[in-house]
Amino acid sequence: TVSTKILRKKRAELSYLHHSLQQTSTNESLTAEERTIHDRTLLEVRDSDHHIQWKVQFILGNSSRQISQCRNSIQGKILLTDELGYVCERKDLLVNGCCNVNAPSSSQYVCKSCLANGCCSVYEYCVSCCLQPDKQPLLEHFLNRAAEGLQNLFTAVEDHFELCLAKCRTSSQSVQHENTYRNPQAKYCYGESPPELLPI
Amino acid sequence: MYLYMGNDQKRTAVTMIVWLCLLVAFLGCRLPVVGTEEDSGPFSTPFPSLNADALLSPNCSQLTLKLDFSTKVVKHEYIVAFNGYFTAKARSDFISSALRDVDAVNWRIVRRDNPASDYPSDFEVVEIRQDTRSSLLTLQDHPYIKRVTPQRMVLRSLKLTDTGTDGASPCNDTRWVQKWQSWQSSRPLRRTSLSLGSGFWHATGRHSSRRLLRAIPRHVAQILQADVLWQMGHTGSGVKVAVFDTGLSEKHPHFKNVKERTNWTNEKTLDDGLGHGTFVAGVIASMRECQGFAPDSELHIFRVFTNNQVSYTSWFLDAFNYAILKKIDVLNLSIGGPDFMDHPFVDKVWELTANKVIMVSAIGNDGPLYGTLNNPADQMDVIGVGGIDFEDNIARFSSRGMTTWELPGGYGRVKPDIVTYGSGVRGSGLKEGCRSLSGTSVASPVVAGAVTLLASTVLNRELVNPASMKQALIASARRLPGVNMFEQGHGKLDLLRAYQILNSYKPQASLSPSYIDLTECPYMWPYCSQPIYYGGMPTIVNVTILNGMGVTGRIVDKPIWQPYLPQNGDYVDVAVSYSPVLWPWAGYLAVSVSVAKKAASWEGIAQGHVMVTVASPAENDVSNTGEMTSTVKLPVKVKIVPTPPRSKRILWDQYHNLRYPPGYFPRDNLRMKNDPLDWNGDHIHTNFRDMYQHLRSMGYFVEVLGAPITCFDASQYGTLLMVDSEEEYFPEEITKLRRDIDNGLSLIVFSDWYNTSVMRKVKFYDENTRQWWMPDTGGANVPALNDLIAVWGMAFSDGLYEGDFTMADHDMYYASGCSIARFPEDGIVIAQTLKDQGLEVLKQETAVVENVPVLGLYQTPSEGGGRIALYGDSNCIDDSHRQKDCFWLLDALLQYTSYSMTPPSLTHSKNRVVPPTGTDRPLPQRLEGNHLYRYSKVLEAHLGDPKPRPLPACPHLSWAKPQPLNETRKKYKYYMKILKIRK
Repeated sequence: TVSTKILRKKRAELSYLHHSLQQTSTNESLTAEERTIHDRTLLEVRDSDHHIQWKVQFILGNSSRQISQCRNSIQGKILLTDELGYVCERKDLLVNGCCNVNAPSSSQYVCKSCLANGCCSVYEYCVSCCLQPDKQPLLEHFLNRAAEGLQNLFTAVEDHFELCLAKCRTSSQSVQHENTYRNPQAKYCYGESPPELLPI
Repeated sequence: MYLYMGNDQKRTAVTMIVWLCLLVAFLGCRLPVVGTEEDSGPFSTPFPSLNADALLSPNCSQLTLKLDFSTKVVKHEYIVAFNGYFTAKARSDFISSALRDVDAVNWRIVRRDNPASDYPSDFEVVEIRQDTRSSLLTLQDHPYIKRVTPQRMVLRSLKLTDTGTDGASPCNDTRWVQKWQSWQSSRPLRRTSLSLGSGFWHATGRHSSRRLLRAIPRHVAQILQADVLWQMGHTGSGVKVAVFDTGLSEKHPHFKNVKERTNWTNEKTLDDGLGHGTFVAGVIASMRECQGFAPDSELHIFRVFTNNQVSYTSWFLDAFNYAILKKIDVLNLSIGGPDFMDHPFVDKVWELTANKVIMVSAIGNDGPLYGTLNNPADQMDVIGVGGIDFEDNIARFSSRGMTTWELPGGYGRVKPDIVTYGSGVRGSGLKEGCRSLSGTSVASPVVAGAVTLLASTVLNRELVNPASMKQALIASARRLPGVNMFEQGHGKLDLLRAYQILNSYKPQASLSPSYIDLTECPYMWPYCSQPIYYGGMPTIVNVTILNGMGVTGRIVDKPIWQPYLPQNGDYVDVAVSYSPVLWPWAGYLAVSVSVAKKAASWEGIAQGHVMVTVASPAENDVSNTGEMTSTVKLPVKVKIVPTPPRSKRILWDQYHNLRYPPGYFPRDNLRMKNDPLDWNGDHIHTNFRDMYQHLRSMGYFVEVLGAPITCFDASQYGTLLMVDSEEEYFPEEITKLRRDIDNGLSLIVFSDWYNTSVMRKVKFYDENTRQWWMPDTGGANVPALNDLIAVWGMAFSDGLYEGDFTMADHDMYYASGCSIARFPEDGIVIAQTLKDQGLEVLKQETAVVENVPVLGLYQTPSEGGGRIALYGDSNCIDDSHRQKDCFWLLDALLQYTSYSMTPPSLTHSKNRVVPPTGTDRPLPQRLEGNHLYRYSKVLEAHLGDPKPRPLPACPHLSWAKPQPLNETRKKYKYYMKILKIRK
């Protein structure tokens, strides 16, 4: 039955095995360490020759455009952001998916909880802040330099709203040691840099 | 995390591959993919012929058939199943030739206009209006026709009536009849063509049906009657299903609708080099040979594992984001791991379900040990799937036991949610053909495929969400007899009943489990294994609220406790706590049950119910009037006994047991190198389950202390049992325990090893978290234990010993334990000859040490004072990796501690030695720089050494104010608790 018990910590077994049974030098473990660092680097490396073919359509002009149906951020526990950049409580969401702009809880382009590095504590505020028209150059700059590991995602987004929904999500850029956030407080980032690295 | 597949029939092969797997060095390796390649023909097992020794008991099959096929709207239609896949013309020819000699002129093939009809099929629907019986028999004789259903089943069971009944048939179990009938009466079949299917396979009488079911061709989609839905034109079309696995080759012949393949690993390929991902995709969507459930679904292949089975949380995060963007409907994760504290991963899974992605995941292959549930299948918002074999036994490998997130203060949730076939299931081979594999990796795509197919049957897709799908699956599941809920969840997947429920679904809340009957054995094990009594620790049931009304919801006001006065409900106190917000789609409802003081010497059954109202914002409501609400009733039934005498009551210290995750707490048994982490919860209902069962069988009552030692009334208990404790102690706890023992409480400690050199040696580089891991304690926290017992002049050593010996005529195995370093001179100490395992680990040298003190018994001197027993190793009472149990020793120690009876076999042992004085070697010191404070409830970081925190307040339950009902509950209709249907 031991054979079926392969723990998640598979590498653990290996190096453990080396240590306790075979008394191999730590070289092998170091190799493993080096290799994972290499793997990691692959994900983050920015190939200067490589540009992802993004196709995001930014909507120019002012924010007062009228639409009859809104997409919104769907997932929120309490808040939602619609594609016009309004954040509102779920109870103030209209049937057409838009925030009721007249509700007291609604406001547009909210950057509440967002830090100077473009990382926010609340996902919905991150999306709303990202939708602000003046964030377009920042987003374009990001798209032009996006890491290869994010290529699949950011070549598929089609407009400003989808881009902000996707950009604000936690991703490979959000973690340290894989299972810990770099910054558990401000982890939703519309900006280019990853969240600030806090000590565990 | 690892992939879950294996072949339990090929142990040696598995082992070899595992070791190979280790040598190629990967970390993310979940289970290696192994399997037996079968011949690629459709079936290798012959189907039993008409007069086969079918032993499904006549009662059983008759019952099933009678109830399942009682509607007769499509009574002239029959499914003719062939031995292989043939074109429409060939199928027609076979049927024509078979019926040529009969007078069945009046027959025709019913056209099936679905996308699958262009492809070879292994069945046909035939309408026969005359001479039905002879026609069917003739059809049956045709060499290419495998079976005709369902009427042939009726004929067969009638024919078998004379052959006698299997006496042990659980089909005679009247509960099952009730279950069926109540379901039937409340939910008439809406779609009559459903009755065409062979509900026969679903009979859960696993004993009676064994011989017949063994011969079933293991064609999982058809066994689950997917063909009935196919025939109605549902084949998964329009549903986006994602497979997160090892990839899929571009031109695999089994798949017709692969929408996209993406790679999230650092290997530049989209292809599957292992076969795991191909198999999983095949179970979901293969269109030929070994058919999947939803051949027309839109397949999205996410390659998140390399060929070496390496994967990282960060790859998953990026891939999951893409799945959200692509608006995936159903996502299969035949993967998992023990790290439910991986917040980025757990949060991301919540985010997926919050975006309406239905997540289906394998519960893990770490059974039969309890406490082995894997993440993410253990999450409330995920459909966690366990495995059974084709004889309806829980597969040995299927992980089980409660979730351990809630320990030590709370109690775990019921998981898996459902079980389905996961043993010897056929699915797509790497390049072509079919193979047979086992594992919860297999069971998960069976459910994911079924869910995909089910989603495609629903007209108003808005109603399909992670909660409503799970509600439909668990409400329709068929309970397996003789299996508890922590192994089977709600039972075995029933595709057609789920179809019926889903297609009449109205958004609502429901509960899992849907009732609390602490008397119902074995389903409600462990609750049913010990009655409750006044003064006992409250029994906690962790109920999950599923909310199909919306991704977010809340409990309105407070849940109400309504005792039934005529049924002694007022003898029960109930306290309820719950999630402040139900998100995503779910939350908890923790129900604590206690006995009222007035029932302190009463014996009997008490009943009542808890009422909960759930509200969600009414998003789809055009009038936008605010909220939808749903009220659910949770029946409660308990058995009360008079409070047992102190000597029979044992308190298990859970508070001081720590485990992975989050920190590195090494295994207690150092030989178990491929399972180095202590992650099973160390609870009497997880990996100390056998010990618990043994103590119950000996008449002891075992309660769990989930709070500091300062939080219990020691005058109620005979013995405090501390096993393998890793936590530190508050100074107040040390003082209180001393006082308790002076006043007559006894203490048994099963310790474990703690040696800082060995701890440094067993550090490892963890590729998952990409950092070095140093253990934060040894097998147990011996320095902390020594602080606790120092007042009696006792201490454990830093020695590390291993070996076999005999004690009191019992064979014993000491697996990485410590020795007793110091003991009072008037105590009893037993020593043994053992190997110095520390030396072996550190220097690869073997040395035998004589007279290692392993056991000590001591009567404290104060008047009426308690007794203390120490033993240096916990492996012999721990289910995980146990080689020889020592429950006899535990019995003897309890006789001593609880009844003051000194076991002569120990006192007169030739192995009795003079108690050690602790002068020959230093006592273990805490490992310098350890990070225990990060995970400890007792310590907090401090300049210099970590210091104890302030002692926390003891938990306080606020008992719900009862709102008694003066009514008698006629009878619980527990079996088949169907979701309410609102007209």
